[in-house]
Amino acid sequence: MRTLLLIVLLGFIWPALSAASELDRSPAAGIGAELETSPENPYPDLLIDSKDTNILGPDLLGNDPFLMDPVEYLDDPIFEDDFTLNPSPPPISDPFEPVNRVIFVFNDKFYFWVLKPTKNAYSYVLPEDIRRCLGNAFANIAAPIRFINNLLQGEFEDAGIVLGRFVINSTLGVFGLGDAAYRDFNIEPRKADFGQTLGKWGIGEGPYLMLPAFGPSNIRDTFGFFGDIYMHPVPYISDNLTFDLGYLVENRINLLSISPDVYEELKRMSLDPYVAARQAYVDYRRSIIDKP
Amino acid sequence: MIKLIVPAFLCMALVINTAAVYSESAEPTEQLKPILDELFSILDDQSLQGDEQKEARRQRIMAAISSGFDFREMSRRVLGSTWNDLSAEQRDHFVVQMTKLLENVYIGRLESYDGREVEFAAERIKGKRAQVTTLINYEDSKIPVHYIMQKEHDRWMVYDINIEGVSLIRNYMEQFRTILRQEEYEGLINIIEQKNQLFAEGKEGN
Repeated sequence: MRTLLLIVLLGFIWPALSAASELDRSPAAGIGAELETSPENPYPDLLIDSKDTNILGPDLLGNDPFLMDPVEYLDDPIFEDDFTLNPSPPPISDPFEPVNRVIFVFNDKFYFWVLKPTKNAYSYVLPEDIRRCLGNAFANIAAPIRFINNLLQGEFEDAGIVLGRFVINSTLGVFGLGDAAYRDFNIEPRKADFGQTLGKWGIGEGPYLMLPAFGPSNIRDTFGFFGDIYMHPVPYISDNLTFDLGYLVENRINLLSISPDVYEELKRMSLDPYVAARQAYVDYRRSIIDKP
Repeated sequence: MIKLIVPAFLCMALVINTAAVYSESAEPTEQLKPILDELFSILDDQSLQGDEQKEARRQRIMAAISSGFDFREMSRRVLGSTWNDLSAEQRDHFVVQMTKLLENVYIGRLESYDGREVEFAAERIKGKRAQVTTLINYEDSKIPVHYIMQKEHDRWMVYDINIEGVSLIRNYMEQFRTILRQEEYEGLINIIEQKNQLFAEGKEGN
């Protein structure tokens, strides 16, 4: 069943990959970037201090939803000053929308018929504390992914934090079961993945993809996903594909059991869940890639 | 006479001074904080708990946040150019339905959220627009929620909420675009009304 799933997944991605080269777009340049005063850009940045972005958080003001099509609002005085801010984000490329929508429906059924019952049974058998400890351990074992990707992104400080957390949690946290680094030293986790690394290197996201069982992605992040698998230590240690896949499934189910119900929440709040998921995924990925 | 003038003068000075202090301190964060505080105090109010109190609770919350959240502006932005094609009555009707949808989604989400602590982390001001960053504790992590505001008649009004780079208004705007392309405005307003009806019947959770 798992092998079948993987074959279906690969079969789907392969033709998409060949189309990637033609449809590749430039990354979301300029979103969240700092503003500079210029004749074309007469609105100076009136920020308190734009240098310390960590304190201020990401700059979302240039990311105005209305900038999508500024010409339409030219008669509207309220938005006049907004036109000259940041360029509007590039539109999402979704040439496979009909196929993606079919897979979205499949994933919906897969969630309610397979994932959710499995998750509920799993949560019933294992108490939450244990699931959280397991979640910590899974995250700790996957530390090389975050370490290598932070290095590849030039985020040496974050790479150091990942390493420090790994050392603390593997020892004081007893094989990573407890997050001692956060609880005792207040060192928060630093995420990084290979799709994000590729994005930071300037590789475009490519067409949007809805992956069976895995959900929203795009060509670049699908590559990134396989890249991350190569950085994961478990396949190097185990040498047994069935164990690796079992580990991946258990990891996913455990993560699902300790995460909020994002999918059901999305369905609850949206009128077209497919578009809502696509927009949310792309916005989120762009925001973590454009973050300075 | 002098005895009267001095207190009168003092009173006047005090009034002018308070007014000056008020407008000076009317920064985005200072305006948003009391509104969110009130929102959370209503959510915490023991007399307003539970499903049977939902109507009363929602009414008080909407009354409290309407001084800081511009639902008309949200409705206008979310519709884009279609807004310009609507008649005044259609616009008013759309604002009512959109406000109801956002209420169901945003307040409904907060009602199911246990944490009540909002940390004000940062503020950006750019011309007439501002961004206030709050941090909400969820489990062991802090989730940044950004309120995007614009200045309207000396008040900062929220017109978008952005969580981890995902804009609420843009998300709806994109969904509406697809629906508008296929079913025009009439189809869209029907879908929104149906969704609100599902929320009212409790079929979409609370």
